[in-house]
Amino acid sequence: MQPRLQTLRRQIAALESEGRAAHGVVPFGDERIDGRLPGRGLARGAWHALTADGLEGETAAAAGSFAALLAKPLTELGAAVWVLRRDDLYAPGLSALGFPAQRLIFVRAGDDAEVLAACEDAARSPGVAVVVGEADSIGLVAGRRLQLACEAHGATALLVERRPFGGKPRTREAAASPSSRWRVASAPSAPDSEGLGLGAPRWSVALERNRGGRPGGWIVEMKEEDHGPYPLRVVAELADHRMAAPDRFAATG
Amino acid sequence: MADGGTRRLAAVDEAAQALGLFEGQKAADAAALVPDLDTAEFDPAADLESLEALADWCVRFSPAVASDAPDGLFLDITGGTRLWGGEAQLAQELEARLDDNGIPARLAIADTPGAAWALARFAPGLCPPDHQAAKLAPLPVAALRLTEADAAQLARLGLRTVGQVMGLPRGPLTRRFGPGVLLRLDQALGRLPQALAYRRPPTPWRQRLAFAEPVSVPEDLARVAADLTGLLCDQLAAGGQGARRFALSYHRLDGKTLTVEAGLALPGRRPKALLRLLIPKLETVDPGFGIESASILAEDVHPLSMTQAQLDPTQAEADAAIAPLIDRLANRLGADRVWRAQPAQSHAPERAVVRREALEGARDEGWDPGRPRPLRLFVRPEPIEALAALPDAAPARFRWRGLWRKVARAEGPERIAQEWWRLAPEQTAVGAVRDYYRVEDEAGGRFWLFRAGLYGGEEAPRWWLHGVFG
Repeated sequence: MQPRLQTLRRQIAALESEGRAAHGVVPFGDERIDGRLPGRGLARGAWHALTADGLEGETAAAAGSFAALLAKPLTELGAAVWVLRRDDLYAPGLSALGFPAQRLIFVRAGDDAEVLAACEDAARSPGVAVVVGEADSIGLVAGRRLQLACEAHGATALLVERRPFGGKPRTREAAASPSSRWRVASAPSAPDSEGLGLGAPRWSVALERNRGGRPGGWIVEMKEEDHGPYPLRVVAELADHRMAAPDRFAATG
Repeated sequence: MADGGTRRLAAVDEAAQALGLFEGQKAADAAALVPDLDTAEFDPAADLESLEALADWCVRFSPAVASDAPDGLFLDITGGTRLWGGEAQLAQELEARLDDNGIPARLAIADTPGAAWALARFAPGLCPPDHQAAKLAPLPVAALRLTEADAAQLARLGLRTVGQVMGLPRGPLTRRFGPGVLLRLDQALGRLPQALAYRRPPTPWRQRLAFAEPVSVPEDLARVAADLTGLLCDQLAAGGQGARRFALSYHRLDGKTLTVEAGLALPGRRPKALLRLLIPKLETVDPGFGIESASILAEDVHPLSMTQAQLDPTQAEADAAIAPLIDRLANRLGADRVWRAQPAQSHAPERAVVRREALEGARDEGWDPGRPRPLRLFVRPEPIEALAALPDAAPARFRWRGLWRKVARAEGPERIAQEWWRLAPEQTAVGAVRDYYRVEDEAGGRFWLFRAGLYGGEEAPRWWLHGVFG
């Protein structure tokens, strides 16, 4: 019985990964997050989506910061490319998050299609470890193409969903399916040691969609010291009912 | 041409010359001599335009064309004559092509622009290398491109030929005429360089193909591109060189030249990679009635081995790995759309970053991580309304994009003074001092605000939002 069960498990795992070659993961170093992710870490050779609500959907500052933190450990494996639509990514700000901004390749594209084409091209290139793209939405076909490009050399793509300034909130359509989708918002920081200024930045992140794993939600804080590959520390785990209520149907996908 | 109310002939063609007409003759006299004389109004602007068009056309013989108004063109054919089989063949071809188009011309080839100018006007033909002195000696002094006053003065002294001027001692010549005459003489003889404003710098890295029958089918254009890139890359390989910029030109039957360009982030000479960048751009080439010849040239040529001499070998290796990607993106989106940010010595936040070419050697020093800087910096700070408890304190509440936010925590100020040395004196003002605050609202949003100006000044200080932290 036991061997048959294991075979079945392997078959299910193979089906879930759609037969793609595994490129490994980068673990967060905290059981509370890693325990929910397939492979116990953020999958490489795949693309992940980051999204935000309200005005954040326009500025994409929190989602961008979280993307920078997710991308940081990958910059040691190869080049990093950030494809923008608006020219407002500020290198000293990236630097303040501990990201090696002076080595980042900035690319500015004219529209969503160009962003996605540039991301795909970059992900397909040997020597590129991580690509961050900022686009309003990614369609089914573009998502599939991006996934195939990521699988070519194990590059990781992070797509920050960002609508143009003054643009209308997007209506949900048949969206592409990333390996994981994270909803990011800024969270109030703890007071610093003197109790006056701002503490280390905190974000409330909800893992809404998680292929082969379970959804979850956490408050994370930026952390400078060595603590796993990601410069993050989990402050608290959010109960399920506090997570991204309007989008619950996506969590099951 | 009107000259103090008298109409004169500005130029005469060969037929008119044969009838005894000459430049500067009164129009009335000419009309008396030749009653059915065909005249056209002198139009210097149109002449200049035609000269420029002719210069454009000459690009097929050499990329380095400089127009010498009102009636001359300089072509620097250094390194390019082998494509025609020699100087004489090139001159012959050029003369024949001009003649086909009904353009009378006098040609001379010499080592210096000055000598070529003189010979073209007074003794057209080829001047063997280093024979300028002998060739120029019998020519009249006007061949030296002198001012009218200088030429008249020389004539009064009985100096009629260049040879006589050459024989004079230099000291007295300068005392008498100033530096002008000697300068022109030295330029003609190659003792002093002369800078000409060429369309493109002369380059020996050039290939051309001429076709027996004009081509116009897209497939042919692509094949021509492949052949030319192959030839040029072979030439570069033979010289151990690579280039960063390539220009492929199609010369049309009607005299127009259509050029497509491609750039590389690192010097290269791989025809395949180059073709991949050039072929998509061929769509913009309209062959019209046909293309009679094509040429390609390389610019920004460097020895290939030297490009590897970067300080950090692993960085160089990493750069080489992503160079093809940079090339594809830069050629698709535009060269200014792909960059790397590097720190700049400036206190002003908007000037703390300079853009460099993506592979221009990333340095390891970054920005001071101790200073809080937002992830998104707005190109134009957005005006906000702010309420502060004390004049010099951080705001307690502020309104941005119609929404009031209560400040939960604040840090600051960080005073950033205007860089007055970059501005004109009248632009500097006390109001240019900015006090930056990092604030966090109750929901956790973090913003970078600044107050421009000081309290107690002529104008009340104003608040702006310059960026958003994540």
